[in-house]
Amino acid sequence: MKNRLKLLRVERGWTQEQLGQELGVSRQAVNALETEKHDPSLDLAYRIAVVFDRPVEDIFENPHA
Amino acid sequence: MLMTAKPATAAHKRYTIRTLAFMSGYVAVMVALIFGAFDEIQGKPAAWILAAAVTAPIVGQIWATLALMRETDEFFRAVMAKQFIIASGLAMALFTGWGFAESFAGAPHAPGWYIYPLFWGLVGLTAPFIRSSQG
Repeated sequence: MKNRLKLLRVERGWTQEQLGQELGVSRQAVNALETEKHDPSLDLAYRIAVVFDRPVEDIFENPHA
Repeated sequence: MLMTAKPATAAHKRYTIRTLAFMSGYVAVMVALIFGAFDEIQGKPAAWILAAAVTAPIVGQIWATLALMRETDEFFRAVMAKQFIIASGLAMALFTGWGFAESFAGAPHAPGWYIYPLFWGLVGLTAPFIRSSQG
């Protein structure tokens, strides 16, 4: 799923490891999200939205829209 | 911070320790079998007990795998499930094919317990190519 996760992470100067700690997932999971090798669950998508203080739709492109 | 991340390495360390513990039991029985330690109990009720006992490490390994999936994140869970489905599917396909080859093509007999090492061999062979939770 296309997303702006890497852009948002880099804007905050975080490493994948740091973002993973914020989200409670591994660095590999963050990398998989950024490279579109993993679609997040609804729960993880909402956690990401809270961390970046943005709506889910601002971070992940709706593939059905 | 929403929650404290469990380091993946800690969960994997626990998994490695549990795997080594269970597999050492399995390997010990296999080595004893190869060196004829159970030759005297062949065809006796004790052989059934041995057959049941050797399944215990495998059941333990399934528990260790499920525990790892529970302790890691959703990406690891999805990739691991995919790796296991592919490896177990291939192991069943190969073994089923071999079974038919035995029955109808004169292939040499392969004992049923081969399927477990075959499964792990296939996990090792296929896992490096399964790095995505997609598709």
